[in-house]
Amino acid sequence: MEYFLFLVSSGLVVGATYGLVGMGFAIIYKATGIVNFAQGELLMLTAYIAFSLASSLSLSLVPLMIVTIPIAMVIGIVLERVFIRPMLGEPLFSIVMVTIGLAVILRGVTIMIWGPDPHEFPTGLSTQVVLIGPVPFYQVQLYGLATLAAVTLAAWAFFRFTRLGIAMRAVAANEGAAMLMGIEVSRIHMIAWALAAAVAALAGILFASMFKLGPTIWFEGLRSFPAVILGGLDSVLGAALGGLVVGLIENLAQGYIGQGLREIAGFVVIVVILMLRPYGLFGAREIERV
Amino acid sequence: MSASILSLTNVQIFYDRVIEAVRDISLDVAEGKIVALLGANGAGKSTVLKAISGTLGREDGEVVNGSISFGGETITHRRAADIVGRGLVQVPEGRRLFPTLTVVENLVMGGYSQAASQTRADLDRVYALFPRVYERRDQIAGYLSGGEQQMVAVGRALMAHPKLLMLDEPSLGLAPQIIDDIFDTIIALNRDTGLTVLLVEQNAQLALNVAAYGYIMENGRIVLDGPSERLKSNADVQEFYLGFGQSGTRKSMRDVKHYKRRKRWLS
Ligand SMILES: Nc1ncnc2c1ncn2[C@@H]1O[C@H](COP(=O)(O)OP(=O)(O)OP(=O)(O)O)[C@@H](O)[C@H]1O
Ligand SMILES: [Mg+2]
Repeated sequence: MEYFLFLVSSGLVVGATYGLVGMGFAIIYKATGIVNFAQGELLMLTAYIAFSLASSLSLSLVPLMIVTIPIAMVIGIVLERVFIRPMLGEPLFSIVMVTIGLAVILRGVTIMIWGPDPHEFPTGLSTQVVLIGPVPFYQVQLYGLATLAAVTLAAWAFFRFTRLGIAMRAVAANEGAAMLMGIEVSRIHMIAWALAAAVAALAGILFASMFKLGPTIWFEGLRSFPAVILGGLDSVLGAALGGLVVGLIENLAQGYIGQGLREIAGFVVIVVILMLRPYGLFGAREIERV
Repeated sequence: MSASILSLTNVQIFYDRVIEAVRDISLDVAEGKIVALLGANGAGKSTVLKAISGTLGREDGEVVNGSISFGGETITHRRAADIVGRGLVQVPEGRRLFPTLTVVENLVMGGYSQAASQTRADLDRVYALFPRVYERRDQIAGYLSGGEQQMVAVGRALMAHPKLLMLDEPSLGLAPQIIDDIFDTIIALNRDTGLTVLLVEQNAQLALNVAAYGYIMENGRIVLDGPSERLKSNADVQEFYLGFGQSGTRKSMRDVKHYKRRKRWLS
């Protein structure tokens, strides 16, 4: 039982980072129709920047997140401007290829600046175990879950109640009509990249503080992919939940069936889910009648 | 004719740099009037409206010659958002609602170019015009009936405080009763608030009954224009657009039906 609870808690926590990365995928996909394969590298770059900030300013976890978010947003905006905006109107496939190229570049640049050796990420948190009911957590893990919950709630409110959030959904639903309303589609794309970079930064900081900050952290991006597919590529909130589910499944599969299984468990889930529900659990079916 | 608020001068439009959709169009819309732009499938009517709205770009269309001016200022290559901001608002062909958004959200987006503080009052104005829209306000727009969608589409455009409203085939695919309702609303807006309207229609009968002036397009050109009364009594217009034979009797119903069917296939 204890073993099971341990697997559940650590699964949820890893799942929270998947969920955050997945939300980034979903935001960009929803607003622009592009699957951004550089999402993991956004996470990597912003996590390293956060590392430098944490070391030089000796910030603790929450202030560090708050400081890193605007920096990440600027990075997202610049990347969109330089790499994606010029591709506007090109075939989607070409744009996706550009994001793959961007991923390789970001990885290279990050390793060039910070070197290939892993770092211990300073969080200023105690390593004592906290019991929530019978389930043991490290403090940093609780911060991870709380962050996912806060971001999910904020995203829900943003897309539901703010003009900008509704405009992002409008652009996703019908770009041409959105233009007729005076919505600047390029501005919406820019904001999508800024938001995706912000959640990537949060995921990166959390992941690095729970484990380590190393040059393979970009792989988190691909690892989160099952979460997005599970939730539905265009469902930001679905991605959050999908992350938790995939994290759980991975951990349980590894714990009970065997090492090695962790990497593939998530992808097995995708295949099964897509066979049952082609749009993911929360993805929108096309509404035909228009 | 009173002062024109919108004028197109020798406008030529290409798609993909090679397809000439509009050859040479000049037209004027007088302030406070309803003006009709008529023509068969593929005449280039929607292309003209897209050019005016500044949305040709996303279909690789381009105004290569001529100029478009609104309220005395040239808007030929302006951004769509800029044009909406000036009060030149289009209700596109086929409604183009945001299907996954609710009705209110669609309306709120219609007011995107306006200050957020106005939204409340503007919504009430639209609800007063279209009580049906009010009843449906919390539903997902994609599931509304065609008539309800057209009301939302018109309401959404009104949220932008248009000085000139462009309607692209608002009667398309709707039952006569609904068409009447929508046209009554537009006539009332024109009469009571002085809203200028540029109405694109294939249904010439309907359009010439509400418009003061009409233009008839064929193959990317204006072939005829004049006050509605004069157009309605023109023999060619009667034969080709109003469905009357030379004798003044209705041409065979088969032709008319065929025409309608064609329309449905192509739109
Ligand atoms: N995106 C596009 N790319 C290339 N050609 C186009 C495009 N849109 C329209 N055309 C062409 O331009 C011409 C005019 O089309 P347009 O849609 O303006 O006609 P319309 O008068 O609105 O017709 P309808 O009554 O069927 O709506 C047609 O020959 C059409 O094939
Ligand atoms: Mg048309």
